[in-house]
Amino acid sequence: MFLIFALITLLGALAMFRSRNLIVAGLCLVLCFLGVAGLFLLLANPVAAALQIIVYSGAIVVLVLFVIMLLNSHEEEAAAQPHRIQRWLGALAAAVLGAGACKAVLSSPGLVRIGQESPARVMDLQQVGTSLFQQHVVAFEAAGLLLLAAMVAAVALVKKEL
Amino acid sequence: MPTLAHLLHLSPETLWMVAKVLIVFGGPFTLASLLTWVERRGAAMIQDRIGPNRAALFGKWRLLGLPQIAADGIKAFLKEDLVPPHVNKLVFWVAPLLTFLPAVMGFAIIPFGQSFVSGGQTYHLSLLDPGNGMGMLYPLAIGSMAVYGVLTAAWSSNNKWSILGGMRASAQMVSYEIGMSLAVITVFMRAGAYDPHLIIQAQLGLWNVLPQFLGFLVFTTCMFAETNRLPFDFAEGEAEIVAGYLTEYGSMKFALMYLSEYVHMVTASALIVTLYFGGWRVPFVADPGVWLSVLAFVIKLLCFCWLFIWIRWTLPRFRYDQLMKFGWKVMLPLSMANFLIHAFLMFKGA
Repeated sequence: MFLIFALITLLGALAMFRSRNLIVAGLCLVLCFLGVAGLFLLLANPVAAALQIIVYSGAIVVLVLFVIMLLNSHEEEAAAQPHRIQRWLGALAAAVLGAGACKAVLSSPGLVRIGQESPARVMDLQQVGTSLFQQHVVAFEAAGLLLLAAMVAAVALVKKEL
Repeated sequence: MPTLAHLLHLSPETLWMVAKVLIVFGGPFTLASLLTWVERRGAAMIQDRIGPNRAALFGKWRLLGLPQIAADGIKAFLKEDLVPPHVNKLVFWVAPLLTFLPAVMGFAIIPFGQSFVSGGQTYHLSLLDPGNGMGMLYPLAIGSMAVYGVLTAAWSSNNKWSILGGMRASAQMVSYEIGMSLAVITVFMRAGAYDPHLIIQAQLGLWNVLPQFLGFLVFTTCMFAETNRLPFDFAEGEAEIVAGYLTEYGSMKFALMYLSEYVHMVTASALIVTLYFGGWRVPFVADPGVWLSVLAFVIKLLCFCWLFIWIRWTLPRFRYDQLMKFGWKVMLPLSMANFLIHAFLMFKGA
């Protein structure tokens, strides 16, 4: 099962990079997110899986695709003058981020416990809510405030007279 | 069931699982095709016409136009499967699947009868057992995937009307999802759980529809918007944009997308019944048993399916800006008010 979902995720991501068509790329991104949701399910965290689908696939990508369709530019535009350096910098940044993520996972204390403890309880919505509002309440509220500020700013930018 | 399982050399658990899969995927699908007939005859009844009554089995039995379903199916299968030029072939082919799969998957979480014990084993009458951790988040997640069918069909058709219909539909589905989620959250809060089995358990004696009538109104309205049914059927407003995102589709691809609208309707009705009308509960009977509970569920389900049809042929269509205003300025505040009232009451200990 892990292999299937991992393959779905990776193939979705690869197809997204390869596709020149923005809409098809968006759909591949959704496929990739579905794979990630499957991986969350395997990690006994169905809440994260459901939220992954609801928030990322169901809302964010829909909005992105919506805007692309509105703008009616479905093909990736060729750059006015190709900057090869950008491509290399991009690859470098991706490699650094990937290496950092691997290092963070490999050095996490949870890794040692895998296989020693019995499998964790299935995560449910109550646990998520409790940890969100007890341990991370400041971060939660800050994120909410930040999103509100971003929303107000977006409206203010678009609407000339309020 | 145990004897049958013995005859087939299966364990009763496996046999029940197979039976449940067949019921959960076949049931809404069969009901949906029957609903196309109900819709036509019902529309005719409401508009004082006769409706389809020409198709006849072996040229003899007309059965109130019921053979029309079979005739439509045969026609859809035998028609030329035309793919217009200038469409994006891959996406054009995938779109009917993307419409159909979310529609049939949503039903998997709905408990369609009381759990029962047989041979020392408890069986739950829903495909996903309680305690799976997904609970009612599952139909919301699956429902939010339904937009993709419309979007991909609209875009891949390479047609102005299609894309207009698709844009309208997706904007509408996304806008109404927020009000719907807030209404559902109120149910979660009151029941103290988000598993459909527990939500139904919490409705013993008093169905949610009475204390949360506002939530019920908002949720049902949003369900009309999510299923793209009139008065919210902007995806295919015939008077303005031909058939919207379905314009370029024909034969079985069209039939699949058309049917999935009805499957969506069945799933939406099932959700309304589960959240607000006590699921399989029978009034004044605490422990109805398997058959009575399934019967009660099916009757409630059919009532709401009929409500969808009834409203379609009674109310006129909104205008697009009215729809958006209604979604954001009426539905969302109502839903929030419902949430806050119940939060306040719970805080006061009521």
